[in-house]
Amino acid sequence: MTALLEAQNVSRTFGATRAVDNVSFKVQPGELLGLIGPNGAGKSTLFNLIAGVMPPSGGQIRLDGGDVTGWKSHEMARAGVARTFQIPKPYRQLSVIENVMISAFLRERSVAAARDLADSTLTDLGLAPYRDRPASEMTVGLLKRLEVARALAMRPKLVLFDEIMAGLTPTEVGAMTEIVAGLPARGITVIWVEHVLYAIMKTATRMVVINRGGVIAQGAPAEVARDPLVVKAYLGEEMQLA
Amino acid sequence: MTAATARRGVLKQISALPQRGRISWSEIILLVVCIAWVALGIAPTLQDVVVLSFLFAGLALAWNIAGGCAGLISFGHAAFFGIGAYTSTFLFLNYNVTPWLGIFAGAITAAIAGAVLSLICARLKGPFFILSSLAFAEVVRIIALNWSSVTGGAEGLSIPPVPDLANMVLGSKAAYEALMLVYLLAAYAITRRLEASRFGFYLFAVRDNDDAAAAAGINPLMVRSVAMALSAALTGAGGTLFAQYFLYLDPTYVISPELSFQFALLPAVGGLGTAIGPILGSFLITPLSELLRANLGNAAAGLHLVIYSVGLIVVMLYFPSGIAGALERLKPRKPPS
Repeated sequence: MTALLEAQNVSRTFGATRAVDNVSFKVQPGELLGLIGPNGAGKSTLFNLIAGVMPPSGGQIRLDGGDVTGWKSHEMARAGVARTFQIPKPYRQLSVIENVMISAFLRERSVAAARDLADSTLTDLGLAPYRDRPASEMTVGLLKRLEVARALAMRPKLVLFDEIMAGLTPTEVGAMTEIVAGLPARGITVIWVEHVLYAIMKTATRMVVINRGGVIAQGAPAEVARDPLVVKAYLGEEMQLA
Repeated sequence: MTAATARRGVLKQISALPQRGRISWSEIILLVVCIAWVALGIAPTLQDVVVLSFLFAGLALAWNIAGGCAGLISFGHAAFFGIGAYTSTFLFLNYNVTPWLGIFAGAITAAIAGAVLSLICARLKGPFFILSSLAFAEVVRIIALNWSSVTGGAEGLSIPPVPDLANMVLGSKAAYEALMLVYLLAAYAITRRLEASRFGFYLFAVRDNDDAAAAAGINPLMVRSVAMALSAALTGAGGTLFAQYFLYLDPTYVISPELSFQFALLPAVGGLGTAIGPILGSFLITPLSELLRANLGNAAAGLHLVIYSVGLIVVMLYFPSGIAGALERLKPRKPPS
């Protein structure tokens, strides 16, 4: 089976710093891949390379077997890769439904059809009560959910989540975990970068751990948690594996 | 809601106050008053002011497509205005092409200039874009001043004042009122169509957040270029109308920074990114500046500018989202459920 996404020896340097150093991994269709690592490990850079925010300095990124190295954000989006932003980036002067409609336009050309798709996405994510509110009036927790809604309204093949749990209350984390866990069943493959480890450890089908720009471990969540290299990388940081 | 009930409820659904994407009673009334004003020939002594108010309302709507909807705040739109005016006038004076066709040639030339500007400034945002647009217009003005064989240089170009409908030189001010009103209505219709369309949503997306728009599959550079080209085309058409009304063009006025600021100011006062705002802005500011200049211009030199400026400061302080924004706040709001 062709991997949905494959990173081959991907690197990215900023001046003399190698933020991502020779990283290789594959994501199979239907997987829920957790991507973790301590602060400054290179998670965000790797995420941005896959999302097309910046091109890699070396290596190759393949989507569905085709080379997509150096593709721009909007090209990746059109190819079926959706993403969220760690710090929410709503369209502040638009309402919640309009925010989601803009994503829905990727698949639906007419305004009415985009509105319908956006409406059903809002209902899925429990955002229907906030439908007509200006995005500028939403709390951080709701904005994080709006990020997820916008990504899902694009009907992506692959969705990249960037720390969607940060800043959420425990109840909200529970609700969000449920949403994310249900995605593979809907044919959406997930790569999930997260700092709130207990949520991701329970949900992910496989983990890739990076540190200092390189992959130090991959495998099932329980295996990875016992890996001495991983434990060492996180030493000094509290590791909560509830 | 089914299509049938939607149709039955159409009249009931029209709201009293302006809102995005849908026409409201206040706009219908405003536009009907404009049409009636022209049709009934009301206030013949104010015809100059009415002609200019209509023309600048159309120009404010044109600017608003780039500045209000797409967030491309430009202080260089006088360049497009001048390009439109000079293109049609040059074609008319040298090749006897009627301005009725020249207006389209001018619009297309201005659109190309607009697309070029947004491609050059693709990476610039906020104040950097504003400054580049200002510089762009200055470059165009200096070219126009020196390219005498086409523009007449500093002496300008004159269109023979021989009334002839075929050459868009009209015999009465009332006819010019009608011409400018058609321009206003066309700009309004385009704005309304745009803001209710997919492309209109894309404009709002790149204005509010570029990164999020790109992540949603929108090519921000493409959207900006098209928005700027459309805005420039409409501004260029306004330039032709201006030339046909004054029958005289010189680079120092038609490509002046003052004029660029005026285009930006009217939608800012009326309400950026709305369809009604630029019209209200022009209807308020254009007569005000004309009347102040006419009545105070001689009595105390510069006093009209003082009053004008104080008025603007008050608007900016107390109505930062313009008249349309103030109207929006009158609306009863549903408490969040």
